[in-house]
Amino acid sequence: MDTVVGFLMAGVGNVDLRRKTNYLIVDSKTTVKQIEDTFKEFTTREDIAVVLISQYVANMIRFLVDSYNKPVPAILEIPSKDHPYDPAHDSVLSRVKYLFSAESVASGRR
Amino acid sequence: MVVDHETPSLENGQTDKEVEENANVLQFMDSMDAYLTVIHSLSSTLRRGWLELASARHSMGASRVNTVLLDHTSHPAATSLLVTQDEGKVDSGKPHFTLCKWASSSNENSLLGEKQSSQDKLHPQLRHRGSTELYEEKTSSENKASREVDDPVQKERSKSLSMFGTLVSPKLRAAQLSFEAALETLVEIANMRSEMLCAFDQVNMKLEGRKDEK
Repeated sequence: MDTVVGFLMAGVGNVDLRRKTNYLIVDSKTTVKQIEDTFKEFTTREDIAVVLISQYVANMIRFLVDSYNKPVPAILEIPSKDHPYDPAHDSVLSRVKYLFSAESVASGRR
Repeated sequence: MVVDHETPSLENGQTDKEVEENANVLQFMDSMDAYLTVIHSLSSTLRRGWLELASARHSMGASRVNTVLLDHTSHPAATSLLVTQDEGKVDSGKPHFTLCKWASSSNENSLLGEKQSSQDKLHPQLRHRGSTELYEEKTSSENKASREVDDPVQKERSKSLSMFGTLVSPKLRAAQLSFEAALETLVEIANMRSEMLCAFDQVNMKLEGRKDEK
């Protein structure tokens, strides 16, 4: 919640004529379905270039985040106040980490 | 001595192809290292912002710094992103993100003003003993110009905080600046992510090519 408030203070908040916002505050009452639907909506909107998602929230919809592979909007996983950033769960780093696995190195050397 | 013209080699025995592959791998490793470094920097900036926000909530009261007060009337974002294709490569498909802070239609000059005032902060002018009067006139006119450009930006900043009331804690203003800094870092991260994925694709293509050859 504080992360959303902070970035709204920095001026990124947008509310359209239908009162639809470009942010979602995830709390204890927010369902996984709501998060999934909002993620799908934001990644298909023409007016959104970057989607900021707390890594904690991204972990709730990990399959959806990891299967997303378009360049725009870019999905950036950020730390939240109560959950520090873990590179092991970052979707971009997970995609590239297999290059460092023993199998990929060995297959390159054969 | 027989010279093989089909596979040009360098002194250390590497072919041009191997040099290019190594360069791609190095570029990928560098971009990944830069990505992790900047993410660490983002964590520090966000922590500072959260702490300042918590301090503001403590001094102003939890009811005054609350999501209930968020503005749900129709309004555009004051800070936006410009997305362009990467220059130099027509078909790269690599996007480049540029942050436009507090850039509404009426104050696009504030972008230049922000750059000017931030450059002034980074490079403070030295005093010259010989021509003090001339120097002071020049700096006061420059300060006036930067203040004039800064005013629309300050107005936008104040407007953004107005949902929390007219008089807000200095800590809230500090938190706003921290989150603005976090936004700049995030745009940097977005560009680095783009670089990293592009370098990764090139390395992956080479690896796949090698596997197919075998």
